Amino acid sequence: MTSWKRIGLKDFEFPKIVKYNKKYLSFEEGAKKEVSLNMVTDITSLPSPKIEDNFTGVGTEFILNVKKNYNAGIDLHIPKDLKIKEPIRLDFYLDEKNNHLVDFNNIYAKENSEITIVIDYKSIDNVEGFHNGFTNIFAEKGSVVNIIKLQRLNSKTLNFDSNFSRVESEAKVNFVSIELGSKLTGFNYTSILEEEKSYSNLSSIYLGDKEMKLDLEYTMIHKGIRSQSNIETRGALLDNARKVFRGNLDFKRGSRSSKGVELENVLLLSPTSKSDSIPALLCEEDNVEGEHAVSAGQIDKSKLFYIMSRGLSEKEAKKLIVESSFKPIIDKIPFEDLRSEINIDIERRLIHG
Amino acid sequence: MKNKKTYIKDINRTIYDIKDKDNSIYKSQKGLTPEIIKEISSKKNEPKWMLDFRLKSLNIYNSKPMPEWAVDLSDLDMDDITTYIKPNTKQSHSWEDVPEEIKDTFERLGLPEAERKSLAGVGAQYDSEVVYHNIRKELVDQGIIYMDMDKALHEHEEIVKEYFMKLITPDDHKFAALHGAVWSGGSFVYVPKGVDVDIPLQSYFRLNAPGAGQFEHTLIIVEKGAKLHFIEGCSAPQYKVNNLHAGCVELFIKEDATLRYSTIENWSRNMYNLNTKRAIVEKNGTIEWVSGSFGSKVSMLYPMSILAGEGARSEFTGITFASKGQHLDTGTKVVHAAPRTTSTVNSKSISKNGGYAFYRGLLKVTKGAYDCKSTVSCESLMLDNDSKSDTLPIIVLNNDNIDIGHEAKIGRISDEAIFYLMSRGIDEQEAKAMIVRGFVEPITKELPLEYAIELNNLINIELEGTIG
Repeated sequence: MTSWKRIGLKDFEFPKIVKYNKKYLSFEEGAKKEVSLNMVTDITSLPSPKIEDNFTGVGTEFILNVKKNYNAGIDLHIPKDLKIKEPIRLDFYLDEKNNHLVDFNNIYAKENSEITIVIDYKSIDNVEGFHNGFTNIFAEKGSVVNIIKLQRLNSKTLNFDSNFSRVESEAKVNFVSIELGSKLTGFNYTSILEEEKSYSNLSSIYLGDKEMKLDLEYTMIHKGIRSQSNIETRGALLDNARKVFRGNLDFKRGSRSSKGVELENVLLLSPTSKSDSIPALLCEEDNVEGEHAVSAGQIDKSKLFYIMSRGLSEKEAKKLIVESSFKPIIDKIPFEDLRSEINIDIERRLIHG
Repeated sequence: MKNKKTYIKDINRTIYDIKDKDNSIYKSQKGLTPEIIKEISSKKNEPKWMLDFRLKSLNIYNSKPMPEWAVDLSDLDMDDITTYIKPNTKQSHSWEDVPEEIKDTFERLGLPEAERKSLAGVGAQYDSEVVYHNIRKELVDQGIIYMDMDKALHEHEEIVKEYFMKLITPDDHKFAALHGAVWSGGSFVYVPKGVDVDIPLQSYFRLNAPGAGQFEHTLIIVEKGAKLHFIEGCSAPQYKVNNLHAGCVELFIKEDATLRYSTIENWSRNMYNLNTKRAIVEKNGTIEWVSGSFGSKVSMLYPMSILAGEGARSEFTGITFASKGQHLDTGTKVVHAAPRTTSTVNSKSISKNGGYAFYRGLLKVTKGAYDCKSTVSCESLMLDNDSKSDTLPIIVLNNDNIDIGHEAKIGRISDEAIFYLMSRGIDEQEAKAMIVRGFVEPITKELPLEYAIELNNLINIELEGTIG
């Protein structure tokens, strides 16, 4: 596991996974009948879609660990042409008795269907938790899958999350990742833009503080012609937080007229924070447009000065700037309670942290 | 809509590909043993510390594995590479004394012409040994030392001992160790305090013997407040066997000093170019790299700037042109190790005809290096669909008081741009060439005139082809 060198995960051993017995699914009973929504019981017997064999996520051993030891998750199939407006919500809340979560989620959106899924991971304070997840998305022709993952586990919890999507012709997968918690996070999202006009979008924000470590990897693999991908990441680092960003745009031969954009913007708010960025552009096709840009630095001093001249303290001014940078992404969460909880959390950490 | 494309012929390398008969008086055996090292060292009549250094490096070389993280080196059989070849000639100071054959080669490459165009000094290396070296008298009077490394080792042993392979140590990587063991020839430049060398110094390396390795060592020391522009050119004829170039360039830029180091590398397409270049810049000093990579089969080349003193500056301007059968893995490394240091990286790459251009870069800001600024920009142009172009910049920031920007773009020549130019009466081929010339213009303008012309010619030759 070479990639872990950068955030210093050493000699990691998997814990013996205990059961996760809490209820985590909330979805309107009536709508449930239209879709096929089951708790995951056996990955190997899932009818479709096939799980991509080559997908290694945050690491082969982590995927294997999920396949062997999963203790929660859903298997969701949305029938053809069905557009479900009401979002499906999964709330995972780790506590003393349920401190291990290994979730496998399978989302299969059939032709022209539409679905939104919100998954919230949190834990009560002082519990040493472990989360290892694998989410597999298959978006058939013309379908739309919106998935929002919200991670605010406590500072004693290790968090690993592998996510994969296969996007067919004119289908859209919008993935939102909000990383606010954990002691150490390894996150991977890989999307294959398989066919003509496949569209894949990843928006993420992260806030690192104290001794937090984050390794975030986003990969867009363009295979289809006129496919489009977009990676946009915004983050802020406080205290001794350490972050690695890896963004990969991979244009395979045959992905003519495709477009990929990759942007990362990180605000460094402490002299002891550490930030690595590795934005890669891989290209086998001449007729594509690929672009990446990374910017890093402190908050613009004149901006800060302006806000402070209006009577705000430096901390408040910094908070305002970070919040305004995060807001467009937080606003994508379709639940008011989650949005306000996140805002309170960010405020607390920036002002009192 | 069907996209029309211009198909572009391969480069005409005729003048580079002329082989001379291998007339060397001494050739070390193929492969590498302590005996060979001892023999090279004794042939060169070297001091003992150098022999010890070579043997130590050989040990390190043998203990390190082949690097596997970038290019495919499996075709490179080190036992097939001859490490030392002494051409049948003594070093000359007058062009007339250089043997006809070697002279012919350099004439074809335009070397003496360059000198006639008043370059300050010229050194030429043929296989492992320097065959021709000249420096203008007024520069000598100012105290500038410009000679080949072997000679410097004897005449300025103390300086050489102080700096030689201190910046790039044999422990760095396998080919640095190999270099330490078998290095031969190269240039040594010493510019004393406050001296401004206003015309460039130049050296040319040529590898002629088949299956040979060239391991020249360039050591440049620019003292406080001094200024220098150094130009390096490389070429070799085409043989069926693989050749290896593993040179080392060590540049020491002292306080307030400025060094511009320009390279046009056009090795033949059987060359493994595994070169290491590094500069250390002290307070308010400046290093400017201008780097053009056109030739070789495989290149791994990442000139590195260590900004060690407050206010030090580095600038990298590079172009890589990968064509058929070439895998050019190039880039640059910048380490900001002191406050208020600034760096600019401007890299362009073009790939065509199945060529593979890879930009690999590192930008690192250390903990105490506050108020640093850096801008990195990479652009890639693919001229057809058989080629590959990758960009992998690594940015490591260990401090918050900095301002870092990075951007990269990849793409092709847009049909609209060509259409526009053609609507103005320019034919398609010329339109393409114009766009490519425009693309590399930021680099050409950094080069001395004769090199800029050479680069433009090179591009024109590359782009001459049929339209399909």
